[in-house]
Amino acid sequence: MAPRVVFVGLASDFGCQVQITNMEDHLLDVLGTIDLVYWQLASSGHMPDAYDVAVIEGAVTTDEHEALLKRVRETAAVVVAIGACAVLGGIPALAGTGDLEQRFATVYGAGAPVARGRRAPAPVESVISVDYHVPGCPIDPAEFVRVLNRAVRGLADRPAEDPLCALCKTNENLCLLDSGQPCLGLITRTGCGAICVSRGRACTGCRGLSPVANLAAARVVFADKGLDPARIDQALSIYNSYGEAAR
Amino acid sequence: MSTITVEHVARIEGHGTITVELDGDRVRDVRMDIIEASRFFESMVVGRRYDEVSLITSRICGICSPNHAVTALKAVEAAFGIDVSPRTVALRKLLIYGSYLQNHATHLYVFAAPDFVGLPSVFPLAATNPDIVERALLIKKTGNELTTLVGGRPVHPVTAVVGGFTAEPSVADLKSFRARLVSLIGDTVATAELFNSFAVPDFATEGDMLALVDDAEYAFYDGQIGALTSGARRPIADYRAVITESVVSHSNAKHSSHNGRPFMVGSLPRLNLSAQLLMPRAKAVAAELGLAAGSRNPFLNNPAQAVELVDACERCITIIDELLAMGGSSRPVTVLPREGSGASATEAPRGTLYHGYSFDANGIVTAGDVITPTAQNLGNLDADMRAIAPSLVGLPKDEFLFMMEKLVRAYDPCLSCSVH
Repeated sequence: MAPRVVFVGLASDFGCQVQITNMEDHLLDVLGTIDLVYWQLASSGHMPDAYDVAVIEGAVTTDEHEALLKRVRETAAVVVAIGACAVLGGIPALAGTGDLEQRFATVYGAGAPVARGRRAPAPVESVISVDYHVPGCPIDPAEFVRVLNRAVRGLADRPAEDPLCALCKTNENLCLLDSGQPCLGLITRTGCGAICVSRGRACTGCRGLSPVANLAAARVVFADKGLDPARIDQALSIYNSYGEAAR
Repeated sequence: MSTITVEHVARIEGHGTITVELDGDRVRDVRMDIIEASRFFESMVVGRRYDEVSLITSRICGICSPNHAVTALKAVEAAFGIDVSPRTVALRKLLIYGSYLQNHATHLYVFAAPDFVGLPSVFPLAATNPDIVERALLIKKTGNELTTLVGGRPVHPVTAVVGGFTAEPSVADLKSFRARLVSLIGDTVATAELFNSFAVPDFATEGDMLALVDDAEYAFYDGQIGALTSGARRPIADYRAVITESVVSHSNAKHSSHNGRPFMVGSLPRLNLSAQLLMPRAKAVAAELGLAAGSRNPFLNNPAQAVELVDACERCITIIDELLAMGGSSRPVTVLPREGSGASATEAPRGTLYHGYSFDANGIVTAGDVITPTAQNLGNLDADMRAIAPSLVGLPKDEFLFMMEKLVRAYDPCLSCSVH
């Protein structure tokens, strides 16, 4: 029997689900290998009571999200987190620092009637265990298919671990640090194809820190290139502000 | 009194619930509850560097991310008094049109079409009408590839930065893409004919219709704010005086009004205000569809989107021709931050998108403001649902709610955008 798959959207811009629909040529092939039982973005109907694989996009930002995730974890044999929001907290986590009341006041005006169980944004893994990770902002759909295949076949999660820099060397990219750009490729988890740096845009760390990242050494490299080492933390805080204090 | 609801309305971006309160056969209230949680982007950019703004605020939406990125960049440039090259403008226009092709094709075929053929989703159509699904995927794919050609990937393009582009497509790639657009025109015309064949309910919104207007072109990159009913023409920098935002208790998205009334933005308002500036084939198609005459029926937003698909193909061909002829550079111009504020607007696929930012002398954001198309439409959508509901109360519950959902989807709402 084909594995029954649900897509769950928490707080996000839906960009990762859109990336999946962007596999135009392969979308129907992929859908042919799974039994897609719930995808609110694309179809009417309600989330079923039984399924095998849950694919989750977005950060946890409300009490309802937490309750939903706990239900999902009890039901699904396999949980896949996709995108920087779900994997890292990502850009939504930028709203997790400082005073939440003050943020409400800034956006809606003081005393506005719009609470709704709001909490500091956090990655999925802060609430439930996650079996497979597809990082990136947005995800690379090809990597998603690879990970989904591993998930439905029961193969172990094998995320890339090296920093991005090695890939840039392979791609023969000019180092952006040499032109004064605060590129995070030397500490960011590889696997993106260096899509930004290959087009002259500095890496912003959307795939999270490589497990072998050496932040102290990266600060020395920044200083050697004439960049303020504090720019590493500034740039890193865009996607990696969740749990920053713990680093 | 009884209440009926559609929870988590399907085939829209984001989470919303339709609530209908009935008193016997009398409709007491209908509204769209926006349960999507607040996202606080306007407060998140405060304290960030000017060159991080478009990266952050473009994450408001994965569908129209090119619009958010370009609108944010233009607002930063307005604040710093930066002029970008004509080449940069042309490339940005292609980036935006990539999202038009992608968004309109997705919305029309994946989100809206199932309503008209009585299916829960587009997937069964793949078995019964493979030609239609193939056409949908081809238009959508071409849009994505246009955004990828200019921006490096379809969602959250990477090359557009303050002052210009970090990389641009090769002449050979532009030429081969031009040929694909030429062949795609027929598919977009067929799309318009398909949607013209679907019956739409007879209904007229009472709200005004707003869109950017420009004497020179079908406005989408710049221009003035125009209003169909009030006839207003105001500079984009005055957007705060044109649009009043208010907090409503049933929605985490603010509602908007113009002259004290709700209003609609999107393809139909654009067409109503700028039909005479459509490209030739699109103008002919609009005439065939009877769309050029200031229609007030929000259900016609779908055919208007189809007309804009035709227009987008023709216009992108023109823009590529200009790029091939103009020379010049899109390399980022020198950026000197200064204290001040800047506002900008573009027409996103779903309607006018406004960004405004204030900076200190070091280029650090001190205030941010974004008004998305859906945040503007929600008040008018509520008003339309209230207006149409009494004529539908005799229907079985399923059909009644289905009509409400169909109206919601005609607006092509993006709720995650609306609670930015």
